[in-house]
Amino acid sequence: MAVLTNILFGLFFVLFSYGIAVARTRRQLLALTLAGILAVTVAGPAPAQAQSSLVTAIQSVLNVINGKIQTALTAINKVRSVIDKYYQEAVWPVALINQARALVTQMIGQYRNLMQSILNIRLNSATLPTPVALENIMRNHQTNDLGALTTSFGNAFGTVPTVPAASPSDRAMMDMDDALAMDNLKTLKESDSADDLVLDAANDIEDQAAQAAPGSAPFLTATAVVASIQSQALTQKMLAAELRQEAARLAHENTLRKRGASLTGDVSSEILNLLEKR
Amino acid sequence: MKRFIEATRCGVAWLWRHKLRTIAVITMFFLLAPKPVRSQFLDPCCAIMAAGLNTIGSTLSSVVGGGLNDILSIEQDISKFEQTIVWPQQLINQARSLVASMQGLFTQMEALMRLPVKSATLPATQQFEQNLLSRDPNQIAQTSAQYLAVYGGVPDATAAAPETRNVVDMTDAAAQAAMKRAIEIDALADLELQAADQINQSIATAAPGSAPIIEAQADAWLVRANAYTQSATADLMRVRAIDLADQSATVKAGAANSSAIQQQIYNLLKRP
Repeated sequence: MAVLTNILFGLFFVLFSYGIAVARTRRQLLALTLAGILAVTVAGPAPAQAQSSLVTAIQSVLNVINGKIQTALTAINKVRSVIDKYYQEAVWPVALINQARALVTQMIGQYRNLMQSILNIRLNSATLPTPVALENIMRNHQTNDLGALTTSFGNAFGTVPTVPAASPSDRAMMDMDDALAMDNLKTLKESDSADDLVLDAANDIEDQAAQAAPGSAPFLTATAVVASIQSQALTQKMLAAELRQEAARLAHENTLRKRGASLTGDVSSEILNLLEKR
Repeated sequence: MKRFIEATRCGVAWLWRHKLRTIAVITMFFLLAPKPVRSQFLDPCCAIMAAGLNTIGSTLSSVVGGGLNDILSIEQDISKFEQTIVWPQQLINQARSLVASMQGLFTQMEALMRLPVKSATLPATQQFEQNLLSRDPNQIAQTSAQYLAVYGGVPDATAAAPETRNVVDMTDAAAQAAMKRAIEIDALADLELQAADQINQSIATAAPGSAPIIEAQADAWLVRANAYTQSATADLMRVRAIDLADQSATVKAGAANSSAIQQQIYNLLKRP
């Protein structure tokens, strides 16, 4: 806009100067001067109403500040206040957080030792020295005496007879029965020990829960779920051991049935032979 | 140079001769030339503008600044509440260190369950026991042959009645299937323990916002583990059901045998 104004000014000034220069008479000069003044008066920009428009502009800015901006800020302030209040009174009220922590602490005191003492009641019931020794090893939750369990088991239940004393099939069956029984007794010692660790884990998580914050609790719940997976896996291993044991028992009975079937046939034939001889 | 001086002299002489025209051109030039900026000391507009700007400044300071200060105060309150009550860094670190210490317990548990328990003494039973405790699904293919080596197979048709052979075969099948399932369950349990370790390690480095995602995954694994436990329990029930049926078949066979022998003895005694 400023460039255009300057160009128009230059053009007009050059034309006017040319006209003045080429005017021949005083009349022409006077007419040209009057025409120039008239042109400036008519075509020139009207003076701006500076004072009144400035006041209006300032007032409008003040109106915006006192109106829209103040309203918006007040609204934001109200919303944030509501959110703050909602957090502190509804979502994470400190009183209820402390109450939850207190509940955890109270339940630890109420149940932990009681349940542990119930679990620690001695169940041993054998009376003779050899069974007492086996029972002690079976129930001691230790895993560094698995060899001693084999010895005690042999002392209590006997060992596999030598070849002349029993048939090879009987020896195999006895050895398999004993092996699976001992395997399971050893697995139970391991799972007893692992069970102690699971209880330790539960205690540790509960202790931590007693002083947890809403933001740290997800770590505890997540690790508790992991501990549950571990516990499930141990349960599965025990179930697998029980499956083996039950299957071996079934196989044992089935072997006796196989033997019984052939013995029954033999005995029937013998009786018939004897009676026919009569 | 001489030409320039000569031209200037001529120009000045022309202007002197045409004073009136020169005055008209200069007057018009000043009328049309762009106006200079008005001075703030002489122009009342500037004073009004200064007063207006001062008012705007003080209004901005009181209305906008005050409002922003109020918001800042609330934000600081929320920030302090979240950092001290909701997500205190110290308690988050404490929980992370608990997760790390849990890993130690889990490792001990896994080591316990890997202690060798094999106890058989004869070659055939040792081989069979090794297969049953292998935790290796690839060894399931050898289970049936090793079972037969220890417990024997179904009697020949000449050695046992068809009913007896059926019961023997079914019972053997149930026992072998249970043993094979035990190998599978052991292998699955090992994989679950491995996955549990991985999940726990990722919890130890998680943020409060990402821990629930890992927890959701752990929950999924727990559901899966429950399914495997149910599967193992189902096989246990199957093997016990076959055991019960086996005992019932024994009683039935005993009754039938007694009746048959009684009839045969009676027939023989009736002979002249």
